[in-house]
Amino acid sequence: MAHLVNIKVNINGDYYELKVKPNTLLLDLLRNEVGLTGTKRGCDTGECGACTVLIDGLAVNSCLVLAAEVNGKNVTTIEGLAKNGNLHPLQESFMEEGASQCGFCTPGMILSAKALLDKNPNPTEEEIKIAISGNLCRCTGYKKIIKAINSAAHKMYC
Amino acid sequence: MIRLKKINNFEYFAPSTLSEAVSLLAKYKERAKVFSGGTDLLVQMKQRKLTPEYVIDLKNISELNNIDYKEGEGLRIGATVTHGILASSQLLPEKFSLLKEASLAVGSVQTRNRGTIVGNIATSSPSADTPPALLALEARLKLVSADGERVVPIQDFFTTPFKNILQSTELITEIEIPDLPPNSRGVYLWHSKITAEDETLVGVGIVLTVDNMEDKICTHIGIGLGSVAPTPMRAEKAEDFLKGKRVDADIIKQTAEIASNESLPRSRAEYRKEMVKVHIRRALIRALKRIEE
Repeated sequence: MAHLVNIKVNINGDYYELKVKPNTLLLDLLRNEVGLTGTKRGCDTGECGACTVLIDGLAVNSCLVLAAEVNGKNVTTIEGLAKNGNLHPLQESFMEEGASQCGFCTPGMILSAKALLDKNPNPTEEEIKIAISGNLCRCTGYKKIIKAINSAAHKMYC
Repeated sequence: MIRLKKINNFEYFAPSTLSEAVSLLAKYKERAKVFSGGTDLLVQMKQRKLTPEYVIDLKNISELNNIDYKEGEGLRIGATVTHGILASSQLLPEKFSLLKEASLAVGSVQTRNRGTIVGNIATSSPSADTPPALLALEARLKLVSADGERVVPIQDFFTTPFKNILQSTELITEIEIPDLPPNSRGVYLWHSKITAEDETLVGVGIVLTVDNMEDKICTHIGIGLGSVAPTPMRAEKAEDFLKGKRVDADIIKQTAEIASNESLPRSRAEYRKEMVKVHIRRALIRALKRIEE
C-alpha cells in the first residue's frame, strides 16, 4: 500500500494541509477534495487545456500534475479570480464580448490569458494567439476570445 | 483512440539530492520511473502503457535545475529545465537560438511549462523537436547511476522508436553542448501534422560555421533531422559534402538533396523527403543571414 503524501498548498489564497494519494491528479484534488469544480476535465491528456490552472503563475494542465507535486506551491483556479464579489477584468471582458458559448473551455482559457497578461500587459494579437494555443474551443471560434483578452488588457493596464 | 484509465497507485519519492535519486533507482530498477514534467509519463500511465510501482520526482534536486554557459566550454542544461525556462532564458547566447526555437516548437504553453528538454530526449520519440537541434549541436548526455557516470554523444543515444540506451538504473542528469566558434549560427525549422497533437512531420536543426562572410567557406556543419527516420538522426553525408565548400545557392541545393536522400521516412515518405530539402535549404540560408547580422 502506497504511503499518503502530506502537502501544504495555497489554493486561491487559502492555505490547505492535505494528505493525498500519490496517484491523485491535481485536477481531481481540486474538483473532488477541495470542491473547486470550475476546473474542467476535457481530454485528460494535456491537449485541450480545459483543466488549465496556474502554479506559481505558470499555466499548466492540471490533468498532468500530481497532487503530491504541489507541496509548497501557489495554485490559482478560476474561482480565485474574482475579488470581493467583483469579477476579474478578464471575466468581465469575456461576458461583454460574448467570448463564451458552452463555457467548458472558458476557465482554462481565462487562466491562460491571465498568465499572459501578468507577464505581458500589452500583448500583440499574435502573442495572445500563442498564449491560448493550448486551449481548444469548439464553439465560438477564437475571434471573440482574442477580442476579450485584448479588451481586458486595456482595462487592466491603460 | 486509446482508452484512458485512472493511473495505478505507486510510491512517490521526491528526493532532494542526486545520490538519493540514483540509489532509489539502483534499488527498484525497472519497477521505478523517473519523473519531472510528466507530460509524457503521466499520459503513458493513463494509457496503462506504464505502471511503475515507484515514481521518483527529480524537481526537488536543485542542482538539476540549472542552465549554465561558460565561454569556450559551452552550455549545460540540467534534467529539470523546462522548455518554457529554456525558451525565455537570458543565459543563452544568441548563437544557441536554435535551441529556443526547438523548445518553442514543443506542444503548447502548458506543455512547455512542465515538459523538460531532457524528458523530450528520454521519451525518444522519432518526432521530438529538441533532438534535431541537439544533434546539430553535437550535444552529449551525462548518464548517472549509483555505480558512476558516463557521457555519450546524443547521436549514440537513440536506438529504435521510443527506445534508447538508458539503463533502468540510470538517469540523464544534464545535456552538455560544446561552445560554438565565431561565425556560427543555428536554425531549427519544422512543420506539423494538422491534428490535435500538432506532432512534428519534419524537423530540421542545423548549425553552420563559416570562415568569414566574404569567402563563406563552411568550416563546420551539423545537421539533425527529426520525424524522417525511426530515430532522430544526423545527416552525415550531407555534412561531409558541405564541409570545406563555399556555401552558395548551388551547394545549398545539393546539400539539401543529399540530406533528403539519406533520410528514412516510413509513412508519407515522398512528401517528408521533399520537405527535408525545403527546410534544409531555408535553414542554411537563414543561418548565413544570422551570421552576417
